[in-house]
Parts: sequence; structure tokens; C-alpha cells
Amino acid sequence: MLILNSVVNGVLFGGVLALMAFGMNLMFGVVQIVHLAYGQFIMVGLYLVYVLAILYHVPLLLSCAAATAAVALLSILAYYLVVKPLLKAPPINQLLALAGVWMVLENACLALFGATYKGVQVVLPVLHVGELYIAASNLIGFVVGLITLAMLYLFLNKTYTGVAIRAIAQDPEITGIMGVNPRTVYLVTFAVGGALAGITAACFVPVYSVHPHFGGAFTLLAFIIVILGGMGNLLGGFIGAFIIGVVTSVSSTLLNPEIGQIIVLLICLLIIIIRPQGLLGVRGK
Amino acid sequence: MLKIEGLHAGYGGFEVLRDVSIEVGAGETVAVLGPNGAGKSTLLKVIAGLLKPSSGAIHFENRRIDGKAPYEIVEMGISLVPEGGRLFPELTVYSNLMMGSFNKRTRRYFKDSLEEVASLFPIIKQRKNQVAGLMSGGERQMVAIARALMSRPKLLMLDEPSSGLAPKIVASIFEFVKEIKDRGYSVLMVEQTVKKAVNVADHIYLLESGRVEFHGKKEDFLENPKIKRSYLGI
Repeated sequence: MLILNSVVNGVLFGGVLALMAFGMNLMFGVVQIVHLAYGQFIMVGLYLVYVLAILYHVPLLLSCAAATAAVALLSILAYYLVVKPLLKAPPINQLLALAGVWMVLENACLALFGATYKGVQVVLPVLHVGELYIAASNLIGFVVGLITLAMLYLFLNKTYTGVAIRAIAQDPEITGIMGVNPRTVYLVTFAVGGALAGITAACFVPVYSVHPHFGGAFTLLAFIIVILGGMGNLLGGFIGAFIIGVVTSVSSTLLNPEIGQIIVLLICLLIIIIRPQGLLGVRGK
Repeated sequence: MLKIEGLHAGYGGFEVLRDVSIEVGAGETVAVLGPNGAGKSTLLKVIAGLLKPSSGAIHFENRRIDGKAPYEIVEMGISLVPEGGRLFPELTVYSNLMMGSFNKRTRRYFKDSLEEVASLFPIIKQRKNQVAGLMSGGERQMVAIARALMSRPKLLMLDEPSSGLAPKIVASIFEFVKEIKDRGYSVLMVEQTVKKAVNVADHIYLLESGRVEFHGKKEDFLENPKIKRSYLGI
């Protein structure tokens, strides 16, 4: 029962992870860029919720919505200032530039908020369903994650901009002769990716307190999920997120959270060695 | 309609097109023929905006288009069917066609365009939810032509429409090209399959090592003794 319980909570947490990884995966697939500062965007989102809700007493939901919008804007800013000038530069330059964004954001938060943990003390109940104990925070994250992903699915399949985002990930040259301006698509992708980091932050509010080095672990986690599913493969990332969610949850329950982290990294290593293209990726793509 | 003058283009320092001048009149079908490596595909790439020419000028409907971005050129009414079709492999046929009508000029006519294109290629309605990457080469070529027509082009460019296809399918592709021509489109195609292409064309250009070695009406092409020997095998 203990194991079943942690599997259920792992699956629920996987919903948020799927959302988080989706943003990084989308930016990789479309712009061919590994967003090294992605976790720091989530961190900024959490700080913003803290500032609005605790320091300015804005209602929590409104704070979350505002933080999401602000992180999306920040992502657009990062696109214009850092990514766009380097679109034709070698990948290593883009990677280093985004690492720079990471440093700037971390140290800005350190300067503004100090090194201590800041958080919104939201106390959410633990629900009893039959013999299962389900954290309401996980359930909220799961529901928000799935609703957001369902909306993204419709966006990517039914709208011109959404289909162009998928098309450009498959064949950028031909997308151009369809009448698509790639820079517009990149901009929209960064806005969407930023909004996803913001929503992820909102889902994290009842789970985590934030500190200036909060982001790195989540950049890494998102990256591991993306590798697990296959870089740029959105469905693969979705499945990968649930695997990581369950593995983390079960190993934390049976052993301890540190071992859980080690197991996640081991899975990542094994995938890189045995199946470098990821679960659903295609070799040589 | 399309006027190319003194075009030079290449990759890096390597010049592929040398002083190429070509004209396509409204409603005309022009075939650019020539052996592999003559620069035929490069020519279409330059017109579509995928490659910037090093010198020369391209005018379309009296507006200069060389140096413009690909998405601006589609907007003006030029559409390219790339070699092998180059459909988006993970998108459905329907989504591929949606991409065809992406440009602002024709997006609002999506439904009308779809009906029009389906009257030519019924397959796109039967298969609209199929993922393009799983279709056969001939089917992909048809959908690729359909996708290009979705942008309601004034000039349709075809890059080796017969490439990699079985002879029987090649014949049917050229039937479609004829049908498209009869519907009033201007067509510029490059081909290696000389005989089939000559049948549908009004004007022929022969490209060898990046230079135009011959241009003229279909009849003159067929009567030229040198061409007869090297290209028609008569």
C-alpha cells in the first residue's frame, strides 16, 4: 500500500513535470536551443508570487497569474536580448549565453532577496481516498498540468501558428517557403515556453520554498526528462515526465530523497549509453 | 511575369549558376532541362528566396524579388514544390495543406482552396488524417503539389517532380502538371526526364554547367540536331 500510494503521488507530480519539460522540449525542437536558464525562470516565477502574495498582499491566484505573465515576458526579453542575436552562431555560443542568463537571474535574486528560503505558506490538506493518501498540492499540479497540456495540444494542432511551430521543428527550410517568418515562430515559442515555466512555478507554490539556487535542479530535471523521451519529441517528454515522477516518488518513500535523485541521474546515464535517441526519439535526427 | 537577368549564384566560393537569364510569361509552362549538377535546383532555390544570388536581378510582375525572404516571396504568389515533395513527415495531410495556405493573402480562402485542390487530387480528402511520412513516394509528390497549390500561386515551380518515382507514377504526375497548366497556372519546372517534360512545356531552356546552352520553343528544341543526339537519343 505504501508503494501504491507513492506511485499515485508520483504520477500526480508527473503532471507538473510534464508541463515543465514540455516548455524546454518545445524550445529545443523549434529553435534548436538547450534552454540552460529554464529552471531560473521557474525560480523567478516563485519569487514573483512571493513578492505579490506576501509583500503586497495580492490574492494568491491573481499573484500566480501575474507571475506567469511576467515570466512569459521575461522569456520574450531573453529571446530578443540573448537568443535572437545568436540564432546563426554556433550552438556553444547560445549555450554559454543562456548560462549567462542563469548567472544573472540567480545573482539578481540573491541580491534582492538574500540567501534565505522564501515561500508562501499555503497549507493544503492531504486527501484520503480509500486507503490512499493524496497530497492536494500534487492533485492541483496534476490537474493544472493536464489542462494546460490539453490546451497546448489544441494550439499545436488546430491553429496556424501552432502547426507552424511543429512544422518548423521538422523542416525549417520548407516552413519558410510556406510563408512562415521563422523569427515570429521563435518569438511565440519563447513566449509559450516562458508561460509554461510560469505555470510550473504556480504549481510549485504549495510544494516548495524558493531560494537563489532553486533553479539549477529543475533545469537539470527538465533536461533529463527531455533526454529520456527523445530531444524535441513532445510525446516522449510527456511519458518521460511520468516515469521520473514515479521513480522519484517511490524511491524517496522506500529509501530517501537523495537516493531518489541518484536513481534519476542513473536512468539518465543509462539512456544516454543504451538509447541515446531517447524512448521515442529517432536515431540520427 | 517572371524575368531573370544575368543571374549568378553559388555556395561559398563555388559558382553554380553563371549568367542565367530566363523568362516565364503568364499562363506559360517553361521547362528547364539539363543533366544532374547543372544548377537546376539551385535556380529554383534562388527564385524561392532560399539562396541569395551573388549578382543579377529577378523581377516578378515588375517587382524586384531577389534578396527577399522566402515568406515574402510566397506572399507575392510564387510557390515551390521541392524535390521529393519535402512534406512535413510528422504532420497529417490536412496539417500539411494548412501550412500550404499559411500566408496572409490566402489563409482566409482555405476551404475554397481545399475544394479546388481536392478536385484535382481526390486523394487528399480520402487521406486527410494520415501522417505524411507514411505515404508512398507518388502520394507524397501529389500532396506536395496540392500543398503548393493551397497558397494560390500565380507561378508554380516544380523541382524534379519525377525524381525517385516509378515510371507509371511519373506518367500520372505529368498528367497532373498538364491539368494544372490547363487550369491557367504559370508553371516553371526543372527536370531530368527530358521527353516527358518537353511534352507539357511551351518553352524549353537547357542548362549545362550553370549556363543556358539553349532556349526556345518546344518545336525548335525538338528539331535541334545537337539536342536530338545528346538528349533525345534520336
